[in-house]
Amino acid sequence: MRFAQEFRDGELGRALAAELPALVAPGRTYKLMEVCGGHTHAIYRYGLESMLPEGVELVHGPGCPVCVLPMGRVDDAVAIAQRSEVILTCFGDMLRVPGSHGSLLEAKARGADVRMVYSPLDALRIAAENPEREVVFFAIGFETTAPSTALTLKRARADGVRNFSCVCNHVTIEPPLRALLDSPELELDGFIGPGHVATVIGAQPFQFIPREYGKPIAVSGFEPLDVLQSIQMLLAQLAAGRCEVEIQYRRVVSWEGNPRALAAMEEVFAPREHFEWRGLGSIPDSALRISDAYADLDAERRFQLPGVQIADPRECQCGEVLRGTIKPWECRVFGTACTPERAIGACMVSPEGACAAYYSYGRYAREREVV
Amino acid sequence: MSAERCAHDAGCITCGDAATRTRVLEMDAARRLAVCVDADGRRETVDLGIVDAVAPGDALLVHAGTALHHEPASEDAHRGDGMEVPA
Repeated sequence: MRFAQEFRDGELGRALAAELPALVAPGRTYKLMEVCGGHTHAIYRYGLESMLPEGVELVHGPGCPVCVLPMGRVDDAVAIAQRSEVILTCFGDMLRVPGSHGSLLEAKARGADVRMVYSPLDALRIAAENPEREVVFFAIGFETTAPSTALTLKRARADGVRNFSCVCNHVTIEPPLRALLDSPELELDGFIGPGHVATVIGAQPFQFIPREYGKPIAVSGFEPLDVLQSIQMLLAQLAAGRCEVEIQYRRVVSWEGNPRALAAMEEVFAPREHFEWRGLGSIPDSALRISDAYADLDAERRFQLPGVQIADPRECQCGEVLRGTIKPWECRVFGTACTPERAIGACMVSPEGACAAYYSYGRYAREREVV
Repeated sequence: MSAERCAHDAGCITCGDAATRTRVLEMDAARRLAVCVDADGRRETVDLGIVDAVAPGDALLVHAGTALHHEPASEDAHRGDGMEVPA
């Protein structure tokens, strides 16, 4: 299976990087946005920015679902977790995201039963093992993760697990990309597209980017050679005056996506009219709620939630980082008041957040080497 | 569940849109579940709800406990990956 080590070959990486300058017009700047937190992480971890020609700049996108979750949703999770009958389950990074009354980890320290799970299936197993408790899965993620939640809710229904429910925070990728493309403060030249989201929805839905906005996109894998090759594909398109959806991550991504995953999502979820994104504000039809057919498994209907919109801390500039208008180190609290150990903003919480990735791998090398 | 269990290299599988390659050890075909092992020897139960015709020995790309992509053992060119292969 060709997924990892063979796509981390340093020799191949240097050879690929050596081809890039020929694709760059002298004096021109290129702003390419990597959509996924996983891409951001790979870029910093493997030092890919230092391999790019002068003028090519990578802008970090809003693809980390933890980073884009607003404080009000964290407060909702804390409110549920504080109920004595509830076991609240969530993915690991979600535990440390600050809400206005602290994080889920702090709620756990105060006595709430908060448990980290690796998959929604684990949450369902906890529900089956604790029939006297209410087990709530706090679901986050883009279309990559949404099928897992959908399949688990279908399984809960089929198995008759009645003490299980879900707070659905799943978001969809197209609306925030449109919001970024419509933003006058951000001029992008192309996108390194989300590989595993495209495994589910296919590459086809990204056609609006070249068609309506005249920008190229390369749907990319997550290893360093994947990302470098995607940059090469984008620069080649721009050099040739082309503007298309290309699939770099061909070993996994198809044009049509996964019809079974899409059918499961269609059955279990419905579009949410409005959803607040940290840094991007409210974006219509950008998230999913649990459909009426599965209302009995919807924790938002089962429990009373505060549902309050909370402004981000004033000193935090996560919004500008997520919109790509400043680099992480340009935030006024980066690396001082805000660190991975004591994060103020969500971008510093998740390892895939631009700030945490930069803090971990790049904070001592702000001046980029030029190939 | 430990914090590192949620991690893929140094990041979070869910947040990074990442996926882990695993190999199928055992299957419960009726419930569309499989026990899989990754390159580090960690075992997990995987939902097979959106992939076709999986068999023991096949490779799966797994995200948050669900198989996103399936590669039959016959098409799997790289056996020297350190993952267990069922007898």
